[in-house]
Amino acid sequence: MPNKQRTITREELLRIIQLCESIEKSGIDPFTVNVRELLQKLRSILESSKDLETVVLDAETLYRVALVIALQHRWLLEKASNLFVDTQIIATRILAADKRALASCLARSWRPIVSGEQLTKKMFIAGLEYFLSLPPRAGHERKLLLGAGEELQIDEEALLDRFRQRDVLESEIMNMHRELLERREEDGGLDYWSFISLEGDGRRVERAYVLAFIVSEGLAEIKRNPITGEVRIYPLESKVERSNTASLAIAVRGREGL
Amino acid sequence: MSVGESEQSKAGRKLAIATAMLLFSSHRLPGVRGYELRRRLGKNYLKIIDTLNHRLSPLGLRVKVVFEEGNDQPSDEDFDRARFFITLSEPLSLSDIVAAGWRIDDLAILSATLAYLFSRGGKAHQNEVMELLETKFPKWRIEAAMERFTRRGYLHKDEDNMIYIGWRAFAEVDQKELVKAITEISPGLSETSQDSSETSSGEPPSPSP
Repeated sequence: MPNKQRTITREELLRIIQLCESIEKSGIDPFTVNVRELLQKLRSILESSKDLETVVLDAETLYRVALVIALQHRWLLEKASNLFVDTQIIATRILAADKRALASCLARSWRPIVSGEQLTKKMFIAGLEYFLSLPPRAGHERKLLLGAGEELQIDEEALLDRFRQRDVLESEIMNMHRELLERREEDGGLDYWSFISLEGDGRRVERAYVLAFIVSEGLAEIKRNPITGEVRIYPLESKVERSNTASLAIAVRGREGL
Repeated sequence: MSVGESEQSKAGRKLAIATAMLLFSSHRLPGVRGYELRRRLGKNYLKIIDTLNHRLSPLGLRVKVVFEEGNDQPSDEDFDRARFFITLSEPLSLSDIVAAGWRIDDLAILSATLAYLFSRGGKAHQNEVMELLETKFPKWRIEAAMERFTRRGYLHKDEDNMIYIGWRAFAEVDQKELVKAITEISPGLSETSQDSSETSSGEPPSPSP
């Protein structure tokens, strides 16, 4: 077989493979391909050239055509299950409908999933208990480093008991909100770190925790200066609904670790 | 007597475990796989799920099973691989959905996209979907909505810009009902009868889906 003829045959087979692949990938109607014609072409190619490369490529093409036939089978099944609804009919109806009609169609057929994603108080306590039960790493004692030789000892049970009582937490929030309003400076704000450390290092974590609730509740804003890194709290007289919210993570580990 | 009581309490506990597993998202996605339920509830987990379904029914909820591939007669293995969710048993009214923060425009985009994809066997090129939707909505709105729906699992887009029906749409949307509703829209009368009492402009500020 002349080389030129072989190249033409090879190109023809590759074109058929490409065609089958595009149908498989694009999801268009697989009946747009005339399978019988393709198979006849394959047969004639196989009869005219018997060299190994052509036979291998021919087998690959046959496999691709078989996939198209499988797609045709699935297409028919889907058509049957879709009550013989044609894409064109759907597209025509969509074009004819107004927005509300389309939305109503979805509403008729939509049954949303019900699931919970929120962290519950029970989960929080379980998490905190687990955290506190973890053994100290590499011989370190359970303490939080505050810098220059200082140590912060946490009364774990007292802290847990304290936050287990919802009303206690709520009254803590209200008291701290009042304190924030009283202590605000001329610009209406106050320094975050000074505020949480007001009652000493022993209560710093607890005050930071309660303050996080105040900010989440919309009773205060918290702003971080991206240049200086200064974090300031701006207490609000009353609760505000926020349209845009963002999270700010602050690690409370002592001044060196800020 | 005490044996009966203990059986009853055991069954009650398993029901509670099943409810917690189905309602609480322990993974990134809601719902649980059949094999996870089997591991926790035992080999008769399908009976427990069936009982749970009966208990949920008066509350307007149901357990929905989504198989990996459509199957009329699922085997035990199919149930093992299937994903179990709790969904509402009846659809919400359009006004309820709007009150929950959805925009009419977004609902219409999702409705048209899903109906088109269902009619195309579950996938279509993004350009085709855009072309269809751009007859009704500005491009920026469609792109933003598609992005949101992809993030939420209603749609799935691959690197070739093919759009597929997402896992959430399979779980939440009744394909036949949607296609039927769309085909029932009369070309001359675009307003459907359902939710005709709806008067809202359908543009609540937030949140988006």
